[in-house]
Amino acid sequence: MTMRFPNLLRSRGFLVIAATAFCAILISGFLWLAYLHNPRHGLPYADSFTRSAADEWRAFGGTWGTIDGSMRNDSDERGAKLITGSPYWTDYVLDADVKLLGQDGDAGVVIRSSDEELGVDSYSGYYAGLRTRDNRLILGRAEHGWSEVRNTPLLGKVEAFRWYHLRVLAFGCEIVAAVTFPPESGLERTVAVRDRDCFRSGRIGLRSYSAGGAWKNVRVRIASGADEQAIRADLRIEDIGDKQTHASLTPLFGSGSLPSPVEQRVPAIAQVQLINNLRAVSGSTPTKATIRGVVSLTSPDVYVQDSTGGVAVRSSWRPPLKAGDEVQVTGIVQPGPYSSSLTNATIQLLWTRTPLQPLAVTASQAATGSFAATLVEVEGYLRSKDRGPANDIFLNLESGPQSFQAIIQESRGGSVFRRLKPNSLLRLRGVCVVDPQYTHNLLPFVLLLQSIDDIETVSGPPWWNTRNIVAAAFAALLLLLVAVFVFGRIEKWRLRAVLEERELLAHEMHDTLAQSFAGLGFQLQAIRNRLPKDMSILSGELDLACDLVRHSHQEARRNIALLRSDSIAQLGLPAALESCAQGMLQSGNIEFRISVRGDPRALPLRISGTLFRIGQEALANSVRHASPSRIMISIVYEETVVQMFVEDDGIGFEVIDDQKSFGLRGMRRRAAGISAEIEIYSSLDTGTRVIVTAPLPARLTVSSLPGLVWKKRISGLQSHEQI
Amino acid sequence: MNKSSVPIRILIVDDHPVVQAGLTSMLNTHDGIEVVGSASGGREALKLLEQNEADILLLDLRMPGMSGIEILQAMKTMKSNVRAIVLTSFETDENIYRAVQAGAHGFLLKDTSQQQMLEAIISVHAGKRFIPRDIAARLADRMLRSNLTARELEILTMLAKGLTNKQIGCALTISENTVRNHLKCVMSKLEVSDRTEAVAVAIQQGIIQITP
Repeated sequence: MTMRFPNLLRSRGFLVIAATAFCAILISGFLWLAYLHNPRHGLPYADSFTRSAADEWRAFGGTWGTIDGSMRNDSDERGAKLITGSPYWTDYVLDADVKLLGQDGDAGVVIRSSDEELGVDSYSGYYAGLRTRDNRLILGRAEHGWSEVRNTPLLGKVEAFRWYHLRVLAFGCEIVAAVTFPPESGLERTVAVRDRDCFRSGRIGLRSYSAGGAWKNVRVRIASGADEQAIRADLRIEDIGDKQTHASLTPLFGSGSLPSPVEQRVPAIAQVQLINNLRAVSGSTPTKATIRGVVSLTSPDVYVQDSTGGVAVRSSWRPPLKAGDEVQVTGIVQPGPYSSSLTNATIQLLWTRTPLQPLAVTASQAATGSFAATLVEVEGYLRSKDRGPANDIFLNLESGPQSFQAIIQESRGGSVFRRLKPNSLLRLRGVCVVDPQYTHNLLPFVLLLQSIDDIETVSGPPWWNTRNIVAAAFAALLLLLVAVFVFGRIEKWRLRAVLEERELLAHEMHDTLAQSFAGLGFQLQAIRNRLPKDMSILSGELDLACDLVRHSHQEARRNIALLRSDSIAQLGLPAALESCAQGMLQSGNIEFRISVRGDPRALPLRISGTLFRIGQEALANSVRHASPSRIMISIVYEETVVQMFVEDDGIGFEVIDDQKSFGLRGMRRRAAGISAEIEIYSSLDTGTRVIVTAPLPARLTVSSLPGLVWKKRISGLQSHEQI
Repeated sequence: MNKSSVPIRILIVDDHPVVQAGLTSMLNTHDGIEVVGSASGGREALKLLEQNEADILLLDLRMPGMSGIEILQAMKTMKSNVRAIVLTSFETDENIYRAVQAGAHGFLLKDTSQQQMLEAIISVHAGKRFIPRDIAARLADRMLRSNLTARELEILTMLAKGLTNKQIGCALTISENTVRNHLKCVMSKLEVSDRTEAVAVAIQQGIIQITP
């Protein structure tokens, strides 16, 4: 019991610590979850887009970037979204200034949004926006499909490039949208619905449809009942489930419907050329040319593309352009080796179209120059990334033998930039440029990207980079150390258990065997004492019996001492023998010397134990019978055997009568137990020499380790049984 | 043996009946010696000591209940003038030392010859001490070593059970550093260089005992 107590103490302490740590982790986890799920987490929220980072926004389609304190989507993509906030926000008021960038489409804000995906109405939530077609404020519900619930005509027209103030309230199941134009004029139009089966919570978002849009001063705060009262003071809230209301709605436009033809006056110009033909123009005399095409890139340069190729357009003034706008450009042709450019150009916006689809090419194809100034999609491995002084992003990529660069103008997306990991495979959409202005004649081509959303990570970096390998090596080393430590601990416990068992055995032997020998000895002595003097033969026999019992007693005593002190396991064979010899020789003046040769190492307990017993017996014999002046023990460790020599210079004996000596017979028996050879040389004038040669198990090497460990365990168990 | 004088009265204390019987038989064969009683435990021995007028106590060390050393100490407090000879089959330096310290006048091993035992009984009865030469040498060796204090013994025992310094400190409500200092003293007293060796030497010399 006494031995178990510290273990119990240790394990209980460990349990308490582990349980406390577990509870702490659990509680902090719960608290963290509660913090994240709190509908007030992150509120009030405001973004005036002064920083270009806007990391917390996530784009679903579109080309989003911060320009002049506003968030701008330059693409005419239908239903491009930019989402932020917590999915646990419930009742709140969203304020934003909205501007449309196109004549045909709508732009607005999304509330209580969840399950956002790339696609026109691929989200669950409410959308409130301004539509140019019928000059209305619209409010509806999207659940991966659009149902417009309410709309109301604005007092003026909804026009592009004008700021409108939009306020949307979500309170309980009531959704209210209000628009103020001009801003701070107090002229307000409001629509409101009550949705019986409403979305209770969700993020906020910016959304545009067919026309690009710009947003600024986005603010979100927690809504109260007072807000709701104020915004719909003179408004009748209609139920979304009311069939009659549905029927009374005005015809639907905008979200979900097809774009209508734009009523734009198209100037008729006879001399429209194909872009590819511009390269045939001689550069010596300035030539004017007119082309028509779709805008593929607006910043840093405008690139226009038609079915035959692309051209860079440089102009001192340009109308607000979006990727996907159909334009007519007139300018002076500057022919280049792969693509031309138009300078001093005048750009005329014809109508808007959906953005161009890029052409998927390999880096080697792009490097040929055949795709200069056109929108392409290229894959490459990211080698390094960099930020320019104006917040530009430079990505150096490689694909096969080609290295190229991708440049993104000042833009949002710091978090995307940070997430880009070197050596990951990226897919980039951008205009392929071979102009030395960008390539500096160092690279075959450069990709100009409209926004950071044109980067797609195809696959992350491989795990086998230097850092990971070093970390893995460290982890392996640590694991090895732990394994060694655990193995050592287990061995120690095993050894301790063995020691305890032996101690128990020693007690048992002491209490039974040794005491019985002692008692028997006394009893025999008593008989011997009472024997009449004339029975000399009998007394002789009894004397011998007494001697035998005493010898047995001594042997038992030595065994007990050996079991108890466990000197071999603790001290090693030489030291154990030395201390044993010192014990025996203390009173005499016999010179004792012990030497070790070879490569001393830990022997299996069974072998060292047996050698110790033999050595002890030989020493005892020598001291008792040979009266030597010197005893020498040497232990020689060799590769496959260990040898022990016990030599004295005493009087020796005739080897023939070793059958009679219990000691010598015991030594032979013991040696046989470990398949050792024992040789005893003795003569009357040279003293005695005992040589024991014991075979050793094979040494431990890395290749033989697993087999040996198993064998060692078995032999270890056997040795404990036998000693 | 002086036949004319009063026989030496002997009390045997040994838990083992075979030893008791054998020893009684053997000693009773001698005229100058009379075994007046035998006890198998400490309390019985002390009771007999009060009742019987014994001269010599032959005392085993290892017994269940009260050990031989404890009996010797009890006799000391009782101011008994019975002289004790320790008769044991198992000797460690520490056992010898502690027995002699507790007031044993002689120290014999159970495998000693009859002659030596008689010699011991007579000389102890005559007021001398009797300790065989080899045992005397070990005793002297043990005497030279400085004593471990009770606290040091306590710590050593815990160390032998495999406790760490921290755990020992916790159990004794002392700091880990104090434990370390104590252990330093222990190691210098036992002339060893590390903890494992200290435990090994302590067990070997019987300074501490691991009880199962």
